[in-house]
Amino acid sequence: MTISVMVVDDHPIWRDGVARDLGEHGFDVRATAADADAAIRIARAVRPDVVLMDLNLDGSSGVRATQSITGELPETRVLVLSASGEHDDVLEAVKAGASGYLVKSASVTELVDAVRRTAAGDPVFTAGLAGLVLGEYRRMASAPADDQAPRLTERETDVLRLVAKGLTARQIADRLVISHRTVENHVQSTLRKLQLHNRVELARYAIEHGLDDGEDPDGG
Amino acid sequence: MTERDPATPLWWGTIVLRVITLLFAAGAVLVHRDGYEREWLAWTALGVMAAWTVGTSVCYSRPALRLAALVAVDVLLTCGLMLTSPFVLSAGQYAEAAPLVTTVWAAVPPLAAGARFGAVGGVVAGLVVAVSTGVARLEVNLDVARDGVLLTASGLLIGITATTARRSQATLARAMRAEAANAERERLARSIHDSVLQVLARVRRRGHDLGGEAAELARLAGEQEIALRSLVSTKPSVPVGGPTGTADLRSALQLLATSRVQVSAPAGDVALPEGTVDELVAVAREALSNVERHAGPSAKAWVLLEDLGEEVVVTIRDDGPGIPAGRLAAAEREGHLGVAQSIRGRVAELGGTATLETAPGAGTEWEIRVPRESRSGRRP
Repeated sequence: MTISVMVVDDHPIWRDGVARDLGEHGFDVRATAADADAAIRIARAVRPDVVLMDLNLDGSSGVRATQSITGELPETRVLVLSASGEHDDVLEAVKAGASGYLVKSASVTELVDAVRRTAAGDPVFTAGLAGLVLGEYRRMASAPADDQAPRLTERETDVLRLVAKGLTARQIADRLVISHRTVENHVQSTLRKLQLHNRVELARYAIEHGLDDGEDPDGG
Repeated sequence: MTERDPATPLWWGTIVLRVITLLFAAGAVLVHRDGYEREWLAWTALGVMAAWTVGTSVCYSRPALRLAALVAVDVLLTCGLMLTSPFVLSAGQYAEAAPLVTTVWAAVPPLAAGARFGAVGGVVAGLVVAVSTGVARLEVNLDVARDGVLLTASGLLIGITATTARRSQATLARAMRAEAANAERERLARSIHDSVLQVLARVRRRGHDLGGEAAELARLAGEQEIALRSLVSTKPSVPVGGPTGTADLRSALQLLATSRVQVSAPAGDVALPEGTVDELVAVAREALSNVERHAGPSAKAWVLLEDLGEEVVVTIRDDGPGIPAGRLAAAEREGHLGVAQSIRGRVAELGGTATLETAPGAGTEWEIRVPRESRSGRRP
């Protein structure tokens, strides 16, 4: 089955280039969008399997678009493709529901592979993202007020550290003497716990601040 | 003095105080005039005091007119008026310690001097007025000494306050300049991201697909793209609001990223003493250059930074051929173990440990653990 894709990026040279690369590799590029609002609107209409999301759309609106799309369309997966240098916004996007992250400097082969894996429901993790996620769990563990915060199991910590040190899933499986599938499951689970916690936090914030209608006060 | 003097509230304080003390002085003259030796001189002095109060009020309310000379004249004129007292007051009034013509009005100029010149100016003016009080009183007694202490202390306090206010304003101005510079850096980063980086990335990918000479160009474009990207995405290495003498290890390590070196780190600053940051970056650099020398130019490397609270862990791993077991020990016996020894030594200086793990075909991995001396630098 052909995988349908939507490319969100505010820069036309990059957006059209990526769309063409994916088209040449047999993907069905259903749509492109240049900003967060268009991305949310078009995604609702075309329901792509994978959204390739740039985060550098005015401010942090790429994170907002990721949140809306993964919240509304459970079948659609968001793969962050960003030049933003593996910082806070990538972590925010992953917490908001993105299932993976790839740097823009990745090769076409890596991109094609990442889109396939994202469509199949596998997490796409760079070493950089693993470092961010590890850091986030440790930050939560050292924040005394947050006893609701998720914790990593010992095994999950081991797996994340190895990913952050650049080992592939297969190398990790060999080193820990577990199956390739188990490695992926551990990684998946670290993401799911973060995303779930993020949703709970957002809901708690909404209840405390009376934002019950889901309207974005900053205009959206 | 610039258009915005942070001591302005102090100047307004002296103006208000001078008006109030003038009314007090007028009341004192009214009460004591029947006993005066020369009542006309008392009224004349009071008239000059009133005129001076108006004049200084006008001048001190304008930052441009708060001149050093005016403040000096203020102090001297006040002393002069005070010294009319021996000609105004009768011997009987002196005996019962009636107030001098200027009374508490004379306490204001030391405050103005403090506001204008700082602590030293305030103290000097306070001493001058105190001495003049002693002369006008025709004796030095406990009252004169007490007035002297109060005058000097008030000049000192206002002086310290004025200096502190000016320093805080200067600090604030510096902080605002730093913020402006940061905003400019971010603006540049955005514009580089929107233009140069996109084109470089496109050249790299298209050229790679075309192959041949284009692939070589693509490689060059790719290297510049990564260099530029790490430059614009790295924050200034001094954590904003962090304690002085600390630096952010995360942004410093991120500068080591190249097309073959990937750096992983937490999202927030990892603040450590500046010297520790410099040493750890130097150690990571040494390990990475060793990778290039021994594992070949095609080997990839990863740097991982972890902040465990009590300690900071930096891991440098490569996917090169690794070092066969025994060769390391052999080298150590022969006494030429340059890099490994140097890394161990530097880390030991920081009170940490450096472990090297390697096996043929499994690359090499340095794990460097350094304790955090004080938790004050920690920013969760």
